[in-house]
Amino acid sequence: MHWQTRARLTKWILGAVTIGFLAYQWLPILTLSVLSFSGPDGGTTFPMNSVSLHWYRELLFASALSDFKPPIGRSLALALACSVTTAVLALAAVQAMRARFRGYNIFFYLILLGIMAPGLLVGFGVAIVARIMDWQLSLWTSAYLVHVAWTLPFGFLTLLAVFNRFDRKLEEAALTLGANRWTAFRRVTFPLVLPGIIGAALFGFTLSYDEFARSLFTTGINLTLPLSVLAQFDRQLTPTLYAIGTATTFFSLLAVGCSAMLILLVRRLTRGSVR
Amino acid sequence: MSTIRERSPAAYLLALPAALWMTAAVVVPSMLILWVSFWGGRRFTWENHLVLDNYARFFRNETYVGLIGETALQAAKIMAITGVLGYCIAYFLAVMVTRNSVRLTLFLILVIPFWTSAVIRSIAWIPFLGVNGVINQALMFLGLTDAPVEIFLYSRTGISMAQVSLYTLLAAGPVVYMLRNVPNQLREAAMCLKAPPIVVFWRIVFPLTLPGVIIGQVLVFLNVMADFATVAAIGGNKQALLGNLVLLFYDSGQLRYAAVVGVMLMLSMLVGVVVALRVVDIRRLGE
Amino acid sequence: MNGTEAAAAPLDLEIRSIRKLYGDFVAVNDVSLSVSRGQFVCLLGPSGCGKTTTLRSVAGLEAIDSGDILIAGKSVADLPPWRRDISMMFQDFALFPHMTIARQVGFGLEMLKWPKARIGPRVQEVLQSFEIAHLAERKPATLSGGQRQRVALARALITSPRILLLDEPIGSLDYSLRETVMLELKQVQRQLGISFIWVTHDQNEAFSLGDRVVVMNHARIEQQGTPDEILSRPRTPFVAGFIQGNNVFEGTVEGVQGSTLTLNTKSGPVHASLDGMPAPAVGQRATVSVRAEHLKFGPTAAENQLAGTCEAIEFFGSLRRYVLRLPSGQQLKIDQFGAEPARTTVGATTELSWRVGDTVLHTQPGGPA
Repeated sequence: MHWQTRARLTKWILGAVTIGFLAYQWLPILTLSVLSFSGPDGGTTFPMNSVSLHWYRELLFASALSDFKPPIGRSLALALACSVTTAVLALAAVQAMRARFRGYNIFFYLILLGIMAPGLLVGFGVAIVARIMDWQLSLWTSAYLVHVAWTLPFGFLTLLAVFNRFDRKLEEAALTLGANRWTAFRRVTFPLVLPGIIGAALFGFTLSYDEFARSLFTTGINLTLPLSVLAQFDRQLTPTLYAIGTATTFFSLLAVGCSAMLILLVRRLTRGSVR
Repeated sequence: MSTIRERSPAAYLLALPAALWMTAAVVVPSMLILWVSFWGGRRFTWENHLVLDNYARFFRNETYVGLIGETALQAAKIMAITGVLGYCIAYFLAVMVTRNSVRLTLFLILVIPFWTSAVIRSIAWIPFLGVNGVINQALMFLGLTDAPVEIFLYSRTGISMAQVSLYTLLAAGPVVYMLRNVPNQLREAAMCLKAPPIVVFWRIVFPLTLPGVIIGQVLVFLNVMADFATVAAIGGNKQALLGNLVLLFYDSGQLRYAAVVGVMLMLSMLVGVVVALRVVDIRRLGE
Repeated sequence: MNGTEAAAAPLDLEIRSIRKLYGDFVAVNDVSLSVSRGQFVCLLGPSGCGKTTTLRSVAGLEAIDSGDILIAGKSVADLPPWRRDISMMFQDFALFPHMTIARQVGFGLEMLKWPKARIGPRVQEVLQSFEIAHLAERKPATLSGGQRQRVALARALITSPRILLLDEPIGSLDYSLRETVMLELKQVQRQLGISFIWVTHDQNEAFSLGDRVVVMNHARIEQQGTPDEILSRPRTPFVAGFIQGNNVFEGTVEGVQGSTLTLNTKSGPVHASLDGMPAPAVGQRATVSVRAEHLKFGPTAAENQLAGTCEAIEFFGSLRRYVLRLPSGQQLKIDQFGAEPARTTVGATTELSWRVGDTVLHTQPGGPA
């Protein structure tokens, strides 16, 4: 066999593995979406009895027990807060890292700890703190604290990568042209890393919105969406869950898509005004 | 020269909020778990004596101790599968796909599920795994089995299937990054030195991407060790790993024992991370 | 080897009209080349001319679309790089970052399945001969450019290949290092008697190193020959323009007398020697060139006479170069030894002349060869 034929064979095999895995990864999600459109007497597996929006209607006009609207609202609000906090704190932290201050090594690992530390333990730990101090667990105290500790490291790493690829000469040029450090940061650095900041905010949003383990221990009585989904799942599996799953997956994709558009837009704007 | 001076005092001010936040939300709670795990006494206050009773009780129970091994075994299994699978996918995406647009498209298809809820993704496996699930329907349609097979739902197999789909990305991502940084010239140089492709891979490409493999394995290891949501969703109440034990004790109000299991989890994860960090320097990834 | 084969003395390398396409783009078009035992051949041309692709085809790193490549008389077109008796040195040296220098240099021997006990001493020997034995346990990242270059050379030569392929091998070195390294490489080549095929865009490299120089442009070979032939007798307008120091004239053929051709250019009539080439028809477009050092100041007995204004005087090493502007707008270069007294000043108008025998007629693109 010619050696390049053999190389092509390897390529086909690895390609088949990749496509196979992508299908494996996506089939459950797609199945879930398809089943969420089944008829009123549809079950939770195939065959689908008929096609309808019944289960989405259930979602909208649900009884108090299985009403997903308040959890969705809470999750969205918390995710938004996390995304803003993540972007701001990560930007400050990365700018600080660039100064190579004494102890920046430890600082780096401290932030990375947020990714390494499992949500189960972090959530449980905070719950214990609240218990000892006799504080009330709630969405805007303990849950917010723990969520940001999860999203911040991702935003931080994103921005760190952006700054590492960032050409320092551009800042130097601004400084030699007479700008002070703050002006140079605001007028040169910030617009150039803005796509990275949006990326950090996106991480903040989606990771918080989808977080389960950390919320489980820290939200108290007001459940977030993933919590109420799993609670409903424990009670009874109905296609309503498929509907909510499809809807939030779709919503996550929408958020990612919007951020991507925003990043492209910012890139075009900065390029346009610079050149 | 940059917009912040070397060793500028302003750096401390900028770093402070993030440092405080991480300390309050991660470091202090972890320390407290360790502390609480040694508490004696009956009331839940910080005035308790420190004792080893909680650990003694944990280690007397063979089921609990066995659970550590089972959890590590599950982690090893998933690491092996996602490691091989992730490397194949990464190699295909980073090396074999030559068109940039195709690579980006495939990469997005791979990554997008990461931005959706893991809980939903776990639940999405239910219609697949059940007795009347898609897999059984497919098996029966193909004539591979007469009656539905019950090994998928509420089983380790089902849990593993879901975890592989959840965590392969973690194994593949860092390898993609490392592979993109291996210049093609090195492969060509090795070939011109009489090395056939398989030798080029094992002697040149693989050693150079090893840091990526290790980081990926650490991420998978940490995630599987602490995963209790997938186990709970697919295993029902029939399957439990170390993480579920923490939750079990927590829900029944036995915080000290929950803390003991938490410490066991932390210790095993720490061992894994320390071993990995001795091999690679994560900070050089961004360079 | 038996007597008849030795008598035949197979060429180290023979390229038979190879062609390489990337989609619709023709990277190498009908390139043929013969390299006899122990020759130093330089492939010279601007970037994108196909010289590197030609080299990579010889290595087997690119699959050719048609034609054939023979190494030591045997076709290798279907053989992968690791089955060809070649070695290659890359522009950035392509050292393996994770291997020590000793390991790296011994890699080729490992691949040839040498026993470990023999590899070690052989590597030491080679490292010593390249004066890098003290670097044996270091990793490439800690070496200077010059040291890396030696390691790359040692690594490529340790297997005693039939041919060494070099892709701009000193292009990434500091300018000050290049001359020394060039000399060393030439010496190594002479000692070992291995054929070197050296790709470069730098004509100084090509002319000072090559036994033969192959000038390429637009995927084709424009001219090949000894450095002297190419310098004194550029055969195409491209070669004349690409090689420094040529003055090119373009015009229509006015007539041919014996072996002298008269060309009507915008700067006036220019006479050129046919030099054995078929005479182009009267009225046809043609180009000729003359080297800057053949132009003489003042009217002489030489057949070609022109006058122009001196615009600039530059120094190139030991040469003094005058740039003259003719009334037609064309620029001419005249070289003179710097040791000789200057013959004109900037702004002055001066006459110049040159012999018909120094004026070279080019093969015209699309015309008869």
